[in-house]
Amino acid sequence: MSTALVDEPLLVGEPLLELEHISRVYGEQVKVYALRDVSLQIHPADHLAIVGPSGSGKSTMLGLLGLLDLPTEGAVRISGEDVTTLDDAERSRVRGDTIGFVFQQFHLIPHLSALGNVDTALLYRGLTKPERRDRAMAALERVGLGPRADHRPVQMSGGEQQRVAIARAIVTEPLIVLADEPTGALDSRNAAMVMEVFAGLSSPERAVVLVTHDLGIAATANRVVHMRDGEIVLDEIQTPSPFSGSTA
Amino acid sequence: MRNWRELLTVAWTGLTARKIRTLLILLGPVVGVAAMVGAVGLTESAKGDLKEKLATLGTNLITAEAGGTFGQQNPTMPKDAVARVNAVPSVLSASAVAEVDGVLTLPNAGSETYYEAFPVPVLAADSELPQVLEVPLESGRWLADADVKNHTRSAVIGAGLAKEYGVVPGEIRTIRLNGIDYGVVGVLGRFDLDPSLSNAVFVTQWAAKHDFDKEGKPTKLYVRSVDGETEKTAEAIPTAINLGGPDLVSTKIPSDALAASARADKTLQQTALFAGILALAVGGIGIANVMSISVIQRSTEIGIRRALGHTRSTIGIQFLLEALFIGILGGVAGVMIGVAVVHLVSALAGWIVVIDYGRMPLWIGLAVAVSVVAGLYPSLKAARLEPLETLRLG
Repeated sequence: MSTALVDEPLLVGEPLLELEHISRVYGEQVKVYALRDVSLQIHPADHLAIVGPSGSGKSTMLGLLGLLDLPTEGAVRISGEDVTTLDDAERSRVRGDTIGFVFQQFHLIPHLSALGNVDTALLYRGLTKPERRDRAMAALERVGLGPRADHRPVQMSGGEQQRVAIARAIVTEPLIVLADEPTGALDSRNAAMVMEVFAGLSSPERAVVLVTHDLGIAATANRVVHMRDGEIVLDEIQTPSPFSGSTA
Repeated sequence: MRNWRELLTVAWTGLTARKIRTLLILLGPVVGVAAMVGAVGLTESAKGDLKEKLATLGTNLITAEAGGTFGQQNPTMPKDAVARVNAVPSVLSASAVAEVDGVLTLPNAGSETYYEAFPVPVLAADSELPQVLEVPLESGRWLADADVKNHTRSAVIGAGLAKEYGVVPGEIRTIRLNGIDYGVVGVLGRFDLDPSLSNAVFVTQWAAKHDFDKEGKPTKLYVRSVDGETEKTAEAIPTAINLGGPDLVSTKIPSDALAASARADKTLQQTALFAGILALAVGGIGIANVMSISVIQRSTEIGIRRALGHTRSTIGIQFLLEALFIGILGGVAGVMIGVAVVHLVSALAGWIVVIDYGRMPLWIGLAVAVSVVAGLYPSLKAARLEPLETLRLG
């Protein structure tokens, strides 16, 4: 199931994911820099928030961190290996094994149950159906949705849908969980519940990266990267505080 | 292998989750295949009665007639023509009849004028004829060896003549041949490959010689050959009979004419078949259209799957398998509807249903091929979608 990238024990201090002098340019005749010479290292146990105003390059950064996009210049390394040189199929496999995504709009597949949605992340990995079912159920139970495994997204609240999305993100036991405005579509009560789940995702082996413009969410991180105009303007370590509400 | 099982499950789930859309896509292959099955089935069934008759009569009967040399009247074959024909390896059985001309046959007194104007043919036949023709007797029995041995004046009449004479089964009936009374011992059933036998009177070789002074040389032979070797046997028979001599013998395969008329109207069939293929092709375009729209509608799902690590080829195959399922389902449903239509129309028109079920895999295969080809473009489109463009990050 896992690639060598996942199974190799990481040395202390070695970054899980590294952006090395990354630039991302759109347009051919008129070049627009979405990111300009950005370098960033993400280590195990990082609970990182990437913050910045609209147009600062957060989404571009997220696409590159999630291997959904390739940089115009520079390298993206996962456990030391440059993944920009991999072909699309290999990069997809590395993405599936290494990274778990949580999106603002949940992005659950509407015709599948909660269990089916989580199971989707486990497909094509050589697992048997019972193995997949057990792992998907365990992930759902971890986010407190075991009893709702058979429910479809339309039968669940926004908060529950986002928790299903979190279960789908962690079911493969990824090294990095990338979340894009995870509470952006939720009310404050559901947002608090989701952030509580996120707080429980941190582990010594895993990094959690939250892309947000919400300072209330950023306050829960132990490291905050501030972006503006396609560049990192501040990378600070902080003492995380519990989620006390959204500022957005 | 497990990946294939998972891919099949994902594709099937994708189809069944959108039932109305799937039903709409299915219409194309269903209509196309049903039209083709119906076209072939109905044109074949329209000739079904002839086909069934042909199947009963068999296609391995050969008739051989003496052609005679130039200027010869009443040509005949050698007396041992049956034995000569039986020597041909592909011959199963053979029987001869000899025309006994100049005999006035009367069913009752006072009918002379009519039967002088419309004489009934009299044939001297051997005891094998009904077996070779594979025609049962409508009533009574056939001429037996005992009739020859005991010199009985027994006659068998054809079914048409029996009707004309008003013969009732079981009735003791006498007919008069040139003033000599013959007891009618049986009625030969109708034989569609040689309808002339239906109106003939059959007597023994002994009677032909003794009462009418006819030598009894065969004028016509009925031969059954090994199936599949009928034409070859028909070509060999003249040589077997005349042994290279000047006597001419012509052979016919009487079922050929029946087979020709039993053959479905090819032009009509091809026209209807073309309409079916056209419907299938239009259905294919429909599949390509609806699936392309579906790819756009499902772009977020595709993006999610790609984000979860599914490769481009996995996404493409998933959509191609959906097209494959549409082809299989549409083909099977089309075949079922086509068969039902053939049964329904045949029942209403009083036809015998003729459906070649061996062709069904071909029709289903055609539907699958059209669906898969139609699904290629949408599948490629799905595989090429960039997840970043569909997931709207940030």
